[in-house]
Amino acid sequence: MDAELVQMAEVAEACSRCRCGCCKDQCPMYSELLEESISPKGRNALIRSVLKGAVEPDERAVRIAYSCLLCRRDEQSCIAGLRNSDATEAFRRYLIEKGARLLPEHAALAKSLDNYGNPWQESRAARKRWAKGLQDKKVVPGKTRTLFYVGCTFALDRTLDDGPKALASLMDKAGVDYGLLLEDEVCCGSTARRIGDIKLFEKLRRENEKRIRGTGVENIVTACAGCFKTLKQDYPDLSEDISIMHSTQFISELIANDKLHFPKREVKVTYHDPCHLGRHSDVYDAPRRVLLSVPGLELVEMKNSRQTARCCGGGAGVKTAYPEVSQKVAAKRIREAEETGAEVLITTCPFCVQTLRGAASAVGSKIKVEELSVFLDNLSHKREGGHR
Amino acid sequence: MMETEVRDQMVQRLISLLGRAKVLTSRSDLVPYTKDTYRIRYDEDYKYFPDAVVFPETTADVKGIVEIAAELKVPIIPKGGGSNRTGMLVPVTGGIVVDTIRMNRIVEVSVPNLYVTVQPGITLKELEEGLAEHGLALNQEQGSFKVATVGGSISTSGFSRKHQKYGTIADRVMSLEVVLANGKVMRTGPKILYTSTGYRLQQLFVGAEGTLGIITEATLRVEPVPEAKDVILAFYYDFWSANEAALRTMSTCVTFTGGEAYEVEDATSLGAPQGRNGLFYLGFEGTKGEVHAQVEFVKKIVHETGGVLAKHDDAAKFMEKYTSQWCGARALTSFEDSLTTYVPVEHMREFYEKLWGEVMPKHGSAPLPGEKFSLDVGRYRMMAGRFYLPKGEGAWEKYQALLRDIAKLTTRLGGSISSCHGVGIEHKDNLDLEYSEVALDVMRDLKKALDPDNIMNPGKMLPDKK
Repeated sequence: MDAELVQMAEVAEACSRCRCGCCKDQCPMYSELLEESISPKGRNALIRSVLKGAVEPDERAVRIAYSCLLCRRDEQSCIAGLRNSDATEAFRRYLIEKGARLLPEHAALAKSLDNYGNPWQESRAARKRWAKGLQDKKVVPGKTRTLFYVGCTFALDRTLDDGPKALASLMDKAGVDYGLLLEDEVCCGSTARRIGDIKLFEKLRRENEKRIRGTGVENIVTACAGCFKTLKQDYPDLSEDISIMHSTQFISELIANDKLHFPKREVKVTYHDPCHLGRHSDVYDAPRRVLLSVPGLELVEMKNSRQTARCCGGGAGVKTAYPEVSQKVAAKRIREAEETGAEVLITTCPFCVQTLRGAASAVGSKIKVEELSVFLDNLSHKREGGHR
Repeated sequence: MMETEVRDQMVQRLISLLGRAKVLTSRSDLVPYTKDTYRIRYDEDYKYFPDAVVFPETTADVKGIVEIAAELKVPIIPKGGGSNRTGMLVPVTGGIVVDTIRMNRIVEVSVPNLYVTVQPGITLKELEEGLAEHGLALNQEQGSFKVATVGGSISTSGFSRKHQKYGTIADRVMSLEVVLANGKVMRTGPKILYTSTGYRLQQLFVGAEGTLGIITEATLRVEPVPEAKDVILAFYYDFWSANEAALRTMSTCVTFTGGEAYEVEDATSLGAPQGRNGLFYLGFEGTKGEVHAQVEFVKKIVHETGGVLAKHDDAAKFMEKYTSQWCGARALTSFEDSLTTYVPVEHMREFYEKLWGEVMPKHGSAPLPGEKFSLDVGRYRMMAGRFYLPKGEGAWEKYQALLRDIAKLTTRLGGSISSCHGVGIEHKDNLDLEYSEVALDVMRDLKKALDPDNIMNPGKMLPDKK
């Protein structure tokens, strides 16, 4: 077994010594489904029993393995700090390596990733669709120092492509010399990794890393929290050679260096910590610093924020495999946001924006869900009385 | 083991009753239901799978499940949060685990009568959050607060660290709705705290471990959220000095919610001066005036007994951490168990001296670092401690012999083997030390009267008649 699988076995063993079940209290999936097997404790018990040969993994085992948002919220309750999320991610990989088939709901994503380098069944050329008028920003190998890595969902989802446009606009305003890979950008592999298809991930990683390294850039700015985590934590050497920042960190630096200013805007907002940016990457302050730099803006925290922030329900393949549960999880987050009295719920991950917008619409919430860069960029072209 | 034909029939009927989604039968789903937090016999790991797990949502669902089980004579294991320590949830004879976790509604809150009626699967934490919206509190704060359910806590007669002022859940049960082994639904009596009519049937189900029926609704006494809360944490050179101060406090008429005296390896992280690793804390709740007066009164005792008071913020943080410390604690250690023995005050020193000095070494066991002394302050004198399980050849037999010797020591001193973890499998065969054969026979007769076919959580709590 490699290090990840050894760690998986250790987590399962340590959990088996304890079995307290406190993880259930904070687990968004368990809270909706209320079955022991759909909880970190239950999955750890399954992992251990499979490793010990007491349970032969069946179709249900695969379903259980994919019932986790990998959000790490449960881990905040465990004083032993068990990495249940990593264990579950490794278990998915383990099952696939042992011959289990991907869930049918995930197979289409994997096929698209394999064929087109994105999970959304769009052509490779479609990746530059959002960047009309920015063709001159194509990265120049050896010259461009900062690569703006857009990511599949921001680039290809037409309801979200104002995100990269806004970030590009902010960088322009701040006079940043950045470049884009446009149609040459390949998926970071986050989806493949989270669903346990390690071969596919490695294929994407190698291709992507080759292209990134080929540009000779010194910095990468990612718009997507998932890309940020993946490039930084799942590409073994990349961050040793290249500085990788999430857009919120980058914007925060631009503000600190007096390169970006925002006009006064009297608005009450709340901020949703994406799991990949918060608990997975420990970035909590940068987005808040950015928001608080807007004169007149009032930031009201939700009941659960930072380390204990509720997951939006959109991650780790759950939205595809368990759409109804995902929407219930998201609706709870929307309710928390509403309780703050904020007009706008701001976040920085395309999946969070997508999922929370869907839930807000489903529950008839009036709260606007905005991506942070879009919110900031709009401040400069603001019409009275609205955000977009 | 259940015959295949019976099992198939049982599963089909459960599915007809509840729908496929509420009946689990795959071993992948069943594996977390093979044990609670009891240290199951090492070579019996994964030996006991339930035949099915079901998720009732109403009393009618439970009644239907019990009727099927009664007709087919298959065992039923009622389950709450699943955090039990003594094996009362282990399906030793297979059968149906009735997971009440989806029966989690607050049915009624009566502010004027100070009670709440709930379904059994609501967790203590969820209930406190729900009651807080009405300015009320149950005050059942046990370590497993985030996980344990009302039904589980009643069935185990759970501990509360607020026992001194509010009692434990056993004192707060006013009325229960129970589905009996024959499928009949019984309401134990009116939703009132005091009555002098009839047997106190609700108390029969406190600590019954699901052996007499399945609780489907509970009415519990609640109290208004107090105007003020405070805590005192005081450090001493050792456990016995801390305990001496705690005893002196108890000998006065001062009111507190509950407290604990214990000794840790290093208390500096709690704000203690170097070397002062014995401590006691007390919680206070009430009106501002009374809490202030109580705190000042106890501070005086701390000064007079040579204690050092923790800073207020450190003490408050310490109180907040109480329930979180329980979560994941055993994942940090190797295999261990804990005592929740209850020993009369005059024998506590003798108990601890013999426990750590004679009983534990005899069986190759020892305390976990900093877990040797832990004593509740107030009426509830739980004498706790955590110890490593014996290792090597015959480890299980040594462990059982150790439990027997602890039980002998405890009962010889007039105490109880388990003050809040129940009996389950762990203490079953030692119950004869605590109860006379006459008392055990009465318990057996009660069990037989209510559950003649022994389908309700068989193999738990009551020892077989010798």
